[in-house]
Amino acid sequence: MSLLDLLALLPILILVFGGTAILMAGAWYREPRPLLAGGIVTALLGAVAAGLVQPPTAEIAGLFSAGGYARFYTILWSLLAAAGLMVAARYVIEKKIGAGEYVSLVLYAAAGMALLSSATHLLGLFLALETFTLAFYILIASNRRCELAAEAGLKYLLMGAVATGFMAFGIALIYAASGSLALPEAVVRLTTTTGELHAWGLLGWGMVLIAVGFKISLAPFHLWTPDVYQGAPAPVAGLLATGSKGAVVAALVGMLAMAGPIWHDLVDLIWLLAALTMLVGAFSALSQKNLKRLLAYSSVTHMGTLLVGLLCQTTDGLAATTFYVVIYVVASFGAFAVIASLADERGEPMEFDQWRGLGYRHPVRCGVLTLLLLSLAGLPATAGFMAKFAIFHAALQSGYVGLVLIGVFASVISFAFYLRVTILLFQPEASASRWHKGATPEHAVLAVCASAVLLLGFFPGLLFDLIAHILP
Amino acid sequence: MTELASLPQFPGLTLLVLLPLAGALLCMFHGKRSAECRWLALATSLAVFAVTVYLFVCHGQGDGRWLLYEDAVWIERYGIRYVLAMDGIALLMVLLTAFMQIAAVLLAWRVERHVSSFFALLLLLEAGLMGIFLAYDLVLFYLFWEVALIPMFFLISVWGGVNRRQAALKFFLYTLVGSLCMLVAMIALYQIHGAQSGVYTFVIGELLQTQLTAAQEGWLFAGFMAAFIVKSPLVPFHTWLTDALTEAPAAGSLDLTGLLLKTGIYGLIRIAFPLFPNATANFLPVLGVLALVGLFHAAWSAYHQDDIKRLLAYSSISHLGLVVLGLAAWQFTAWEGSILLMVTHGITTGALFILVALIRERTDTRSMQELGGLWGQAPCLAFMFLLFSLASLGLPGLANFAGEILVLLGTFQEHPLWAVIALLGVVFTAAYMLRMIQGVIWGPARKERTLPDLTAREWLILLPMAILVVWLGIYPEPFLAPLHGTVATLLAGGLP
Repeated sequence: MSLLDLLALLPILILVFGGTAILMAGAWYREPRPLLAGGIVTALLGAVAAGLVQPPTAEIAGLFSAGGYARFYTILWSLLAAAGLMVAARYVIEKKIGAGEYVSLVLYAAAGMALLSSATHLLGLFLALETFTLAFYILIASNRRCELAAEAGLKYLLMGAVATGFMAFGIALIYAASGSLALPEAVVRLTTTTGELHAWGLLGWGMVLIAVGFKISLAPFHLWTPDVYQGAPAPVAGLLATGSKGAVVAALVGMLAMAGPIWHDLVDLIWLLAALTMLVGAFSALSQKNLKRLLAYSSVTHMGTLLVGLLCQTTDGLAATTFYVVIYVVASFGAFAVIASLADERGEPMEFDQWRGLGYRHPVRCGVLTLLLLSLAGLPATAGFMAKFAIFHAALQSGYVGLVLIGVFASVISFAFYLRVTILLFQPEASASRWHKGATPEHAVLAVCASAVLLLGFFPGLLFDLIAHILP
Repeated sequence: MTELASLPQFPGLTLLVLLPLAGALLCMFHGKRSAECRWLALATSLAVFAVTVYLFVCHGQGDGRWLLYEDAVWIERYGIRYVLAMDGIALLMVLLTAFMQIAAVLLAWRVERHVSSFFALLLLLEAGLMGIFLAYDLVLFYLFWEVALIPMFFLISVWGGVNRRQAALKFFLYTLVGSLCMLVAMIALYQIHGAQSGVYTFVIGELLQTQLTAAQEGWLFAGFMAAFIVKSPLVPFHTWLTDALTEAPAAGSLDLTGLLLKTGIYGLIRIAFPLFPNATANFLPVLGVLALVGLFHAAWSAYHQDDIKRLLAYSSISHLGLVVLGLAAWQFTAWEGSILLMVTHGITTGALFILVALIRERTDTRSMQELGGLWGQAPCLAFMFLLFSLASLGLPGLANFAGEILVLLGTFQEHPLWAVIALLGVVFTAAYMLRMIQGVIWGPARKERTLPDLTAREWLILLPMAILVVWLGIYPEPFLAPLHGTVATLLAGGLP
């Protein structure tokens, strides 16, 4: 690794070394506020570095790309980490969690996600995936006094271990079949092989796909999702639902752009996964009585929709997928941020009974939540509509009419469960109790999410133009 | 079109959408001061009405396809443009919307809970409706189509009656299923057009030139029809409406029956028929039969209702069946009659919904079992009720008559049998309307009550409507004049 490589890696280095410095500082200095502030500044610095510093090389050590696409996601995940810390600040302080540890783990996770999104080598992919998964094991269970959190942490750990196993075995098979781990070659060589080797390679890719399925909770590998989201504190669940999944999808987009014919052998499988995931997620969400579990299932159906975009494999499809990832991250993280901002000494409002009539107690934040949920549902004039529109558009262009119809059907179901929450929020007769009034950083994050959803709903061209420039 | 767009002009159409939107935002931020919100909402509606009247007077007599046309780039990547276009039909619908909106605001004057949100939603609804009637780009149309759902959804689910939650969800999901089918068909049409011509656009005017195979046309037409038929609503997709209308708060029912229902039929006229002429030609007989079935089924159901609000809901479905029948006849006179009937039905049934709300406010019931003898208790109220009921059943000289007779005349020329059957349906209408009049106004009072008669505010709502009802019944020509050109164009461009 040369000096130029290091310069190209600068944003990640900022996140990692900044995180380490804060971890060390936290060991001596227990005051949480400066540490949290330091974490936020570090994450923002990472984003700025990714945006401004021109990478001198296109690739880092043959493992990671430093192109526009990688940079785009580095910025996104750094900003997400900053938002995650802003939302978590009150939680960390009130629950007396070691601020140094918390901040550093979030920054490590962001670094892992950024690396994953820019992976060009299966080893890099594996390393990055493990980096942020490890951070999340701890973050989920960070509140040691909470049993649900401990259970969630354990579940995520077990699930993660299984996924890691599949991933490692899959990668080994791919290597055996193609003799390469670098991404274009591993795929390209596989297309030229025939017979037994080709079959091994396909099996390897299938296993990688299963591991991915666990990570982004595709049905039928999604069962851990609601329990973990429910148990994890909302600021962590927000990161988990958005960043950890978005980064994997981003890596898939990167792979797909380079991979070609190999996917044709897997198209039927992905088709089935996408259809199943959209439907299972939507139907399961319908019967939930807990907002966090509902958001978990909602994330499942969104991942199904994203898979539809990936399946198209056209520039349009990949652009649509990228757009969708960004919008999903903003809206879904915002929804978790609303929960976090309402949390007080009683915990977080989760059960539907706690939400009934809350719209009259906390009109602004419930209004924002309504907007974000409607965006997740895909109502026109919000960014969520443009995202769904783009995906369906790409899918119809590629001829996946059946999948689009299934997606439309799942959308109808999604509207039903999102709307149920909004009805609940504005139930006139109920007397909801008052929750926390929220701290300034939390309000700031919500304001950003809400304005992004509206702005990109009316002017999606802003983001589409950017994406068109950076797609690999 | 383009030469119109290039003229620097007063952006009247954009104003029609933006004014209520601005009013809604202002109301929203005025949260605490409910009195100001009322006046703000009224001022906004009056301003919008003033703009529509200005458009009617200054641009109502244009020849050519469009009276006004506004066009701007919106989302370039997908060829989505911001196109608002007004022809004669749109002009009438816009006028009706603005007029009814004033009545709705006045009617909602006494809403007590969450006043600012109520008026904000009412204005947002108006913005959405204006958009639906004016948009001439499919995506823009779809946007307004869905945006109009949200305020109505909240109006029902928060301020509605006992079963409001189920009614609101049912309303939303029914219409959503239809509109998502439309969305898929829209995108498919866009891609077929793009593949043929190389120009990817959602502007309806350009999509008209798409060459479709019979199968493609059938499927796409079905997608659009799913949205419009559910919204119209034609039997058997009408069950959402009776619940929604019954549960909605007064101002909500007024907008729902007077305006929102018209968007479905308007979509047929403006989008589905012109885009898919061959499929339309094949489908017209089915549409006619569906309309007749709806006309009778709803009239029959109306006859058996005890709740007068529910009765009016069925009567709306029945009347709209007649409107659709006129369209299905595909004949100039019938079309003009249908469009006129759409407007007059909006006013008469809207007024009846207002009266039901007023009666409900005074007596706390909508059941004919408990009403009766209104003439003795509140004569002015009873007179208004009589007037609008008679107008609704199609008494000559009052509003609906002109529309109905045109529909029947026109239909008779093309399909005599349909017209004869429909005529029987009109008799049916008279039956349930008279039964309602009898149950509410005449007879002995079932309970001794002293009812306050109409207040000044209520006169203010009803009197303009009453004048309009008489005017439209006696001399509808000023409102038919802008239609002639548009209807002729649509009929010529539609069938081969």
